[in-house]
Amino acid sequence: MDISKQLLLLFALSAPTAAAVAADSAGLGAQPLVDTSQWLCKYCTFEKGWSGTVDLGATYVSEDSFKFGEYTGLNKKGAYFLGDGSARFRGEDANYWNIEATDLGLDSRSVSLEGGQQGAVTLFLNYKELPHFISDSAVTPYFGTGSRSLTLPTGWVPAGTTGGMSALPGSLHEVDLETKRTRIGMGVSLIPATNWRYSLNFREETKEGTQRVAGTFFFNSAQLVMPVDYVTDQIDASASYSGRQLQAKFAYYGSTFNNKNQSLTWQNAYTPLLGGATEGQLALPPDNQFHQLLASLGYQFSEKTRGTADIAFGRMTQDDPFLPPTLNASLGAPNPPRDSLAGKVDTTNASLKLVSAVTGQMQLNAAYTYNDRNNKTPQAAYVWVTTDSFVNAPRTNLPYSFTQNTIKLSADYRFTPRLKTSVGYDHDTHERTFQETDKTREDTYWARLIARSRENIDLTFKLSHAQRDQSNYVPVPEITPPENPLLVKYYMANRTRDSAGIRVDVAATDSVTVGLGADVSRDDYPDSALGLTNGSDFVLSADVSAMLTKKTSLHFFLNHEEIDSKQAGSQSFSTADWFAENNDKIDVFGVGVKHSVLENKLDVGADYTTSRSTGAINLDTGTPTATFPDLVTLLDSVKLYATYHLKDNISLHGAYWYERYDSKNWMLDGVTPSTIPNVLAFGEQPPSYHVNVISLSMRYKF
Amino acid sequence: MTTEQTPTNRRHLSLFAGLLLGASFMFSVTAPAEEAAAPPETPAPPAGNLASEYTEKGADTCIKCHDEDSEFPVFSIFKTKHAQRADKRTPFAGLQCETCHGPGANHAKKVRPGEKQAPIIAFGPRSKLAPDKINPVPVAEQNRICLNCHRGDARIGWNASAHDSNDVACVRCHKIHAARDAVLATATQAEVCEKCHLKERADFHKPSVHPVRFGQMACSECHNPHGANTDALLAQPTVNQTCYTCHAEKRGPFLWEHAPVTEDCTLCHTPHGSIYPALLKKNLPLLCQQCHTVAGHPSVARTADSLPGGVGGPSEFLLAGSCTNCHSQVHGSNSPSGVKLMR
Repeated sequence: MDISKQLLLLFALSAPTAAAVAADSAGLGAQPLVDTSQWLCKYCTFEKGWSGTVDLGATYVSEDSFKFGEYTGLNKKGAYFLGDGSARFRGEDANYWNIEATDLGLDSRSVSLEGGQQGAVTLFLNYKELPHFISDSAVTPYFGTGSRSLTLPTGWVPAGTTGGMSALPGSLHEVDLETKRTRIGMGVSLIPATNWRYSLNFREETKEGTQRVAGTFFFNSAQLVMPVDYVTDQIDASASYSGRQLQAKFAYYGSTFNNKNQSLTWQNAYTPLLGGATEGQLALPPDNQFHQLLASLGYQFSEKTRGTADIAFGRMTQDDPFLPPTLNASLGAPNPPRDSLAGKVDTTNASLKLVSAVTGQMQLNAAYTYNDRNNKTPQAAYVWVTTDSFVNAPRTNLPYSFTQNTIKLSADYRFTPRLKTSVGYDHDTHERTFQETDKTREDTYWARLIARSRENIDLTFKLSHAQRDQSNYVPVPEITPPENPLLVKYYMANRTRDSAGIRVDVAATDSVTVGLGADVSRDDYPDSALGLTNGSDFVLSADVSAMLTKKTSLHFFLNHEEIDSKQAGSQSFSTADWFAENNDKIDVFGVGVKHSVLENKLDVGADYTTSRSTGAINLDTGTPTATFPDLVTLLDSVKLYATYHLKDNISLHGAYWYERYDSKNWMLDGVTPSTIPNVLAFGEQPPSYHVNVISLSMRYKF
Repeated sequence: MTTEQTPTNRRHLSLFAGLLLGASFMFSVTAPAEEAAAPPETPAPPAGNLASEYTEKGADTCIKCHDEDSEFPVFSIFKTKHAQRADKRTPFAGLQCETCHGPGANHAKKVRPGEKQAPIIAFGPRSKLAPDKINPVPVAEQNRICLNCHRGDARIGWNASAHDSNDVACVRCHKIHAARDAVLATATQAEVCEKCHLKERADFHKPSVHPVRFGQMACSECHNPHGANTDALLAQPTVNQTCYTCHAEKRGPFLWEHAPVTEDCTLCHTPHGSIYPALLKKNLPLLCQQCHTVAGHPSVARTADSLPGGVGGPSEFLLAGSCTNCHSQVHGSNSPSGVKLMR
């Protein structure tokens, strides 16, 4: 859909909105007013002035571990400052301020400020840091980590294999892989009239640090440190109206992404297989933009019938200058046919929903969704260079487009106030360009029962069956070399999907609630001779909350999950001659107790959580082979805590936290930088730790 | 016919956006006074057979019994936005407690010892003062009271959404009589959602996760729990648009796209938690070999013989980054030589 049509449609959508807004007051109806002249609210304890809390203290972490401090910043052995606080002000005329500060002494610190006049204007400003400690066990011979150029040490002796790199052992040095996001957000909301709201929000996020990447020359590769220096700006501007009958929202969303590094170059640590391939260059994520106009409408046609509509038009663009096809000047590779991509993707997302309670017992629901990704990026033939080593015949880029249409019809019938059933039918079509099948269709039939017994037992049971069919699966001629013609990619393959779920919530007594759930789902790909052939997922859950006494509460949860899948491959590029089976099992168990030892004086608590997972792979090639060890992770966490109230406004908080983590991953176990002859690896090992954390803090309340 | 993104078109888009917002502003400032007056003076219709007579003194009547020592203390309401009389949209600018709980005169009448108070609209599944302990005010009725004022913005699509269809009451997640509503704070929101979403709670204990369990990310950064005509109640129209709000570097468009990546991130990744790195659904190389069967190295069965110490010797196709040892640009490449996602 071109822009003029999009604008026309948006305008058409907004025109009746405007008329309806004007007419909306008619929908209020004339209800009798209540005489509230004696409703003085003289006993109402409305909040006034400042109040808040300040927490100050320290914590000590016993061991270095990126995995333990992955997202919190408690990644290094040592002491950390604990600082949290909150303050709120309530003034006359609905003036207010809320200030929150958390984790001030950690790399996950945040501060937020919100205030204004409730019902008229709101301002906010926030700051947030979010670390991601990825790996602390990597080593590399490359210098310049974090920059856009990686160089080998002076005296490096290239070799054909990693084992032959004589300077490698003496050149390895540790390199941490970590990123940090820093977000600054600000915004304002105005309420010019009761039912209207205007909002303007802006967020700038920088992401800096290093990540794992790899570069290769033929089959000789090296794991590399990729610099991360991103800035993403996002802006939201919206106007919304909320009346009795009509609700509407119009918005603009804009997002710009800027990467300060366009490429990463690295020196070839291997003896070049072809002349001149001494340096490689990877393209890093290019600068890009996304702009979107959105409109949402809700209209209450009557007490029983409601309709909603959403529409959004967006455009993604990317026009970063191209890198040269190679740094290997000896190849004489021609320049690309364009200086930049002029990449452009238009997105259209629309939905309509109509809900009507046709009788007191029956409700009918209909929804339609349209999602379109129209890739208008120009196509051209690009001469490309294989890993900076030799020039290939041109290849034409394939700008993928997708269109999804979904219709959902359902009916809810309430037999009694305690028994409700629903049945539904979903029809979904996916259309794709430049892919093996133009269209897939999926029909889903489902039913659900919600029942409540007189003994306060809630039960939800659901069943669904889905059948997906594709039109005509043909390998894409532009992609060479071709895939095996017997392969059907799983996301376009014929598929049957059956699922069932049950959930029971029992209020055993006024103080004990129990939740139990079980879900099972199975996918079959009956016409896929190669690729994914079936998958299943089974989940069992339990949750118990109990007030054992007025002073003691208990909480317990349990979850068991099994994820299985099978796939087939062909080494002989004919029919299936090998089969793989994945079996994942995950168990999570947690229990927690809180106890008030001395009322309003001393509270204590404890939490224990354990999580264990195994990933088993069985590969059948028809000949005896070694078996894969399981991928294993184990997490045990114990937390003990106590709060002692010294005074009404001062309390002490102490906590002890022990956590251990262990993992086995055959992809990494025992793999050093020179273990694989043609991969100069980081030599990372699966994380493992035993960490003790002690913290003590004081809270002052004002 | 395709439309190139010319400066003129960009100007048109910007102009249109401005006009749209401007037109909305005009409507707001000219909105009729009756319309601007929200519902506080409009009584909430009583549910079921409850009484329709209001108390004589409003909240002062209620507070006499519902003090801090009662079974249902209410004073924390005065620490909330609902209890802000200067904001004419709030319950306390109108019928105070009875804006939400309905006419309370009958309920407030004195009763003899041992006799129960007359019922009043109560919220939550097991409220003792509901019309009938076993059969309390229907969830839809409870929610309708909230929706009287909270129908707009993100809640436009509430009706027939997943939570509505499953009879989830607003108060199942929101604490109205509390200075802090846990579901509105990033650090504590997940604890509320996970009371029902048990599998997701377990997912966030897996080795590879988004930082929800650590209180650094809220469920609502990706989901709109109040209803959206999107898969899994996503806050953005599609999965990928949702992911791009934090991972804009994956957005492109790239010169060389990886088809499933541009279609749906969840074809390879699972968003809540995985036992495999980078939230992948399956370990490499099997994940890639579900779709890549080209003659030569992609179609070869990579057995445990190629592990360190195995008879086949350590393999680049199996260890360290597996397929990504060479094809490291799996999310797309903008290099002219990136067709195989190696540059």
